[in-house]
Amino acid sequence: MEGEYRYSRFAGLMRWRVGARHDNKKMDILRFITAGSVDDGKSTLIGRLLYDTNNLKADVLESVSANAAINLAHITDGLRAERQEGITIDVAYKYFTTPNRKYIITDAPGHFQYTKNLVTGASNVDAIIILIDARNGITAQTRRHSLVASFLRIKQVVVAINKMDMMGYDEAIFKVIKNEYLQIAEKLQLPDVNFIPVSALEGDNISFRSGNMPWYDGVTLFEYLEKCEGKENAVNAEMRFSVQYVRDNAVYGKMISGTLKSGDVLLVNPQGERLVADKILHGYDEVLEAVAGQNICLFVNGDVKRGDILTRELNTLQCGQEIEAELCCLDTQNALQAGKDYLLRIGTAETICKVKEIICKTDNDTFETYKSEEPVSVNEFARVKIKMKDKIAFDCRRVLQGQRHRPGQAETGRGIIIDPETNNTSGAFIIL
Amino acid sequence: MDHLEILEAEAVYIMREVAAQFTKPVLLFSGGKDSTLMIHLALRAFYPNKLPFPVMHIDTGHNFEEALIFRDELVRQHGLELIVRRVGDTIRLKKIQEEKSKLPSRNALQSVTLMDAINEFRFDCCIGGGRRDEEKARAKERIFSVRDASGAWQPSEQRPELWEVYNGLLRRAQDDRGNNTALSPLERGSAAQGNMRVFPISNWSEVDVWHYIRREKIALPSLYFAHERKCIVHEGKLVAVSEFINIEDRDTIVNTMVRYRTVGDMTCTAAVRSEAMTMDEVIYEIEHSAISERGETRMDDAISDAGMEDRKMVGYF
Repeated sequence: MEGEYRYSRFAGLMRWRVGARHDNKKMDILRFITAGSVDDGKSTLIGRLLYDTNNLKADVLESVSANAAINLAHITDGLRAERQEGITIDVAYKYFTTPNRKYIITDAPGHFQYTKNLVTGASNVDAIIILIDARNGITAQTRRHSLVASFLRIKQVVVAINKMDMMGYDEAIFKVIKNEYLQIAEKLQLPDVNFIPVSALEGDNISFRSGNMPWYDGVTLFEYLEKCEGKENAVNAEMRFSVQYVRDNAVYGKMISGTLKSGDVLLVNPQGERLVADKILHGYDEVLEAVAGQNICLFVNGDVKRGDILTRELNTLQCGQEIEAELCCLDTQNALQAGKDYLLRIGTAETICKVKEIICKTDNDTFETYKSEEPVSVNEFARVKIKMKDKIAFDCRRVLQGQRHRPGQAETGRGIIIDPETNNTSGAFIIL
Repeated sequence: MDHLEILEAEAVYIMREVAAQFTKPVLLFSGGKDSTLMIHLALRAFYPNKLPFPVMHIDTGHNFEEALIFRDELVRQHGLELIVRRVGDTIRLKKIQEEKSKLPSRNALQSVTLMDAINEFRFDCCIGGGRRDEEKARAKERIFSVRDASGAWQPSEQRPELWEVYNGLLRRAQDDRGNNTALSPLERGSAAQGNMRVFPISNWSEVDVWHYIRREKIALPSLYFAHERKCIVHEGKLVAVSEFINIEDRDTIVNTMVRYRTVGDMTCTAAVRSEAMTMDEVIYEIEHSAISERGETRMDDAISDAGMEDRKMVGYF
């Protein structure tokens, strides 16, 4: 390896002696979000998970326990305003590991006005924990968080019914909430919903099975997380290569799905030209085959530019100037208006667009759609038609019999809208 | 893909996104393990080409000699374009009174030098090695973090950031007619008002960094491995004896085996007692340490509950 040679020249600067062979445990990554308000015990739950898995260092514990009693919630509220108001305003990320995986916790705010921050935090997760305070049952916030989970097509949903200790660990309470939530799940087409009765404060069913709720024989929250599926492996899906950056004849980009071999004939979308993949580099190595998830450097015998998507000849990718999408407005200053010029981005592709038509909006509580042509204001969800100035390549859910989850093609089936006057990200959309 | 490959892919993607979205980016380099990792990731991202941006060291003057030797060797080996801007020059030019404490810190002044350099070169994006697991204010920052013209972070006005779609657009100066000249990709970054800070290794933990460095056999300054050093004990922490700190008669100087867990200024980075001389020994110690990285080694975070947030609000990395 060239690497060995390169680094041996540093011998005088570093002591590079690998001792006993370290065990190379293969860990994956699970990203999950906790949604709920501080009152529901969300931060306490995160603090509990970190604490139980030995992922809290002594000095961090000390800084949050200034008044003797450990305030587990204080661990995640990193901004002064949050500590002063006692609420979570923006997303915080926390990390912990078990021998099996690295966890990335997204701690998201619960309050309505910060839904846009919840959407940011929830966009990259594999699972969502919806926290419900057993004393209050399902609230408007629970519904809002579930709507976000549905909008973003989060694969795994677990409802943690918290503060069971304050309700005498009563099974009846758990059942009532569970049954009510199942109706929400059905309405929003949430897949694979699990329910766990917990007490984050006391530690019941978080990492340790609770002796207080013998009637519950399911998994603990921690066991659930250990079994959750990480990011889908899209190796077997249809091939997509997204062009990110071109310099001279080197084409840098990401294998979104499928496999690519050197010598393959590829189609450049949306232009429709054909070319051949001459050479593939992954890191410093030339490889014969690239697979989904890898960032590679490609050499081809034709012209491509940022935003292009390379596929095989036969593919289900769409190329066009109009899409229908579910959209969420994220801009607190300006509502999304029909007829105004925006910038649209799907992956690395960019074009000018207009919202051609606001078809309907979704009621945040009943999830019913209603006719409205009014601009879409912050935290509102709507179905819209978007007209683009240039032809763009995208994946469209309707093509594959309306399947909600299609590994690999999710990335090309969603995007953001930017307001050119402020450069702010005004909205996010999922192509229908 | 295992967790290190996933983190590597994420960082490489972000590096390439910076190259594609900005006209004048720069990679900030301090000589520490995180910025060394960043250079490695950038080299990997753009291979077989050279880095499409320079690297910049905001030099406080309070450096460990080993870190400087390492920096220059790294730059020479990989043919990097290095820019150095010195806090000492800022102090002279702006006639700033330096604090005269026992451990005089130039940490706050670094932001001034950084902002001057950003304006001098018209950088529209600074790539930094900040990680969210370091500190609770950092845990809140976006990967593409918009700063205003003075470099200030406005935590309440962070942009939405979804999926792998990063919005690096910056507000441009208005043209003669008062129109915003957005929508023209050619003008992106020109006369940008404010700049972007981008953190490709946001999601890496300290242990992830070490594991990756071990796996990729990335060289580090020798400071990270156990060596003998003269230190004073200040508030329970080992501070290296140097010309930059004010040693008093009541200080006892100890000569002991130490290593550094982070490398920053000599005046505000504490050493850790250690005999760990190999990568494996160092990793073992860090994995079993009862104290967090910054808690063990940084004297500048403990100032207040919002120490980092406050520094970021005046332009800090």
